[in-house]
Amino acid sequence: MDRSESIRWGQLLALPLLVSGLLLLGSQFVFLKQSIYIDLPFGKIASDWSFANFRRIATDPFYLRTLWLTTWISAAVAGLCVILGFPIAKTLARLQSRWATLLLSLIVLTSFITTVIQIFGLLILFRGDGLINQMLMGLGLIQQPFTLIGTSAGVVLGLVYASFGFSVMLMYGIVRTIPVSLEEAAAIHGASRLRVFRKVLLPLCLPGLVVGFLTIFNTSMGAFTSAALLGGGRVITLPVLIQRTMLLDVKYGMAAALAALLLAFVVILNLASVMVLRRLRHAQGVMA
Amino acid sequence: MRSAAFRSALGGWRLLTVAYFVFIFTVLLAPLVVVIGGSFSAPANDTVIVSYIQFPPERLTLQWYARIPASQLHALGVSFVLGLAVALAASLIGVPAALGLVRGRFRGKTLMSIILKAPLQIPHVVCGIAFLQLYYRFGDATNFYLQGTNLGLFLGHLFLATPFVIGSVSTVLLRFNPRLEEAAQALGAGPWRTLWRVTLPVIAPGIFTGALYAFIVSFVDVPVAVFLASADTTTFPVELFHALEQDFNPSSLASASLAAGFAVLLVMAAQRLVGMETLLHSK
Repeated sequence: MDRSESIRWGQLLALPLLVSGLLLLGSQFVFLKQSIYIDLPFGKIASDWSFANFRRIATDPFYLRTLWLTTWISAAVAGLCVILGFPIAKTLARLQSRWATLLLSLIVLTSFITTVIQIFGLLILFRGDGLINQMLMGLGLIQQPFTLIGTSAGVVLGLVYASFGFSVMLMYGIVRTIPVSLEEAAAIHGASRLRVFRKVLLPLCLPGLVVGFLTIFNTSMGAFTSAALLGGGRVITLPVLIQRTMLLDVKYGMAAALAALLLAFVVILNLASVMVLRRLRHAQGVMA
Repeated sequence: MRSAAFRSALGGWRLLTVAYFVFIFTVLLAPLVVVIGGSFSAPANDTVIVSYIQFPPERLTLQWYARIPASQLHALGVSFVLGLAVALAASLIGVPAALGLVRGRFRGKTLMSIILKAPLQIPHVVCGIAFLQLYYRFGDATNFYLQGTNLGLFLGHLFLATPFVIGSVSTVLLRFNPRLEEAAQALGAGPWRTLWRVTLPVIAPGIFTGALYAFIVSFVDVPVAVFLASADTTTFPVELFHALEQDFNPSSLASASLAAGFAVLLVMAAQRLVGMETLLHSK
């Protein structure tokens, strides 16, 4: 083939890189720079830079507690989504019936509606005289109506609703890439269902599940809706704190510093897990 | 040889699976069912406070649909148009980017790939605050303020959404059979004609999927729009979010049901046009 006749694919990247690069650099540079200026009253910032914002974050236990709260909530959400969602994803990926399409469509639907709508439904279901409290009190399981608002369990529940559909979609894709013949071969050789699952499917899916866990962990670390609506001002996660610092307290420098902390935390965790994943894949390669 | 014990164990396993599915899907869909059911429910007495909404409904009514506040209808319109614009622009950027990344042979490709996919790693709330501060700065420097404008929202969502198009188009391109292009060129088609008449039609499901995800990213987003929207440019999720923060009124159930109904139409359209398999595989 004539070389001069073919498309220079690399040149197609010019415009996308320009747009994405400008948006990335512009947005990230400005707030990271803002984070090293302390706030003065009325939304003004100091003219000299210092690490005072970061020093305050590092020394004030309130900020570190917030980071820790956000981390464990996100880890719990990611764990719940992967553990509860994997059986669904695995069964749907191996199911050959019209039901599979319908159930998958419902899963996709839940990720196509905003979390706000789902939380709206949760608020109605769990209110004092709502369906859940009536049922639990009718069964005699609880004496007093309970509320989700202001509890970390409520925030976790809202975040699980926000990510569950997405996590099943992700894991469905992973299971589909693993040939069913491998499971059949193990079954023919006498392995029980549980053994096939534990010794064949699970190890093959593991790297994908780790990626899924991380994706949902990331999303939850930056998610704002659930904690803002179900946290009720008592469960304050880092995204909610950032929003309040920025929009209510009008402290741009501090808000930027907190955002920088969140960004650095997530990026470092991701890089660390990429290395762990590489080890994992390498170990699997050695075994095979 | 399948013994009776084996068969009954298999039956037990199946029963357990079905029970688990019923449980998970009931829990998963309950909030949506409550919102949609509640939107048709007439109040027990003449109140418009949502805590008196009956679920399950005793009497059906369409009155809440007639009473949806103009601001919520406007926000639904903003979300819809914004989503379309984001999907279109993200495709115009994402398709060439994916072609370049998958087919280009040159140095620095890894770095370019990192730059193009970086938004996936940035927590959404960080994107929100980063764009707001960028707009303040930009406005101070040029007197052209983007915060609270449609263009400002559009740029923020475009940033979030473009990697989704790049991801799904790349996935389809990697599975592409190069023989098809070779055949077209052997038959005398030039490279651009081959791209337009052979490559693009074959990867169309990937483009459609990416555009759909781009639309959805914009359509459901709260953490970015909550920073960038103003009263005139509020998207529907943010409008509903503020409604829930205050004492909300049952017509919010009606507008939320409209948004959910639209999502149902989108899922059905996606199923028709590309099928669930492509939709989930090109993630």
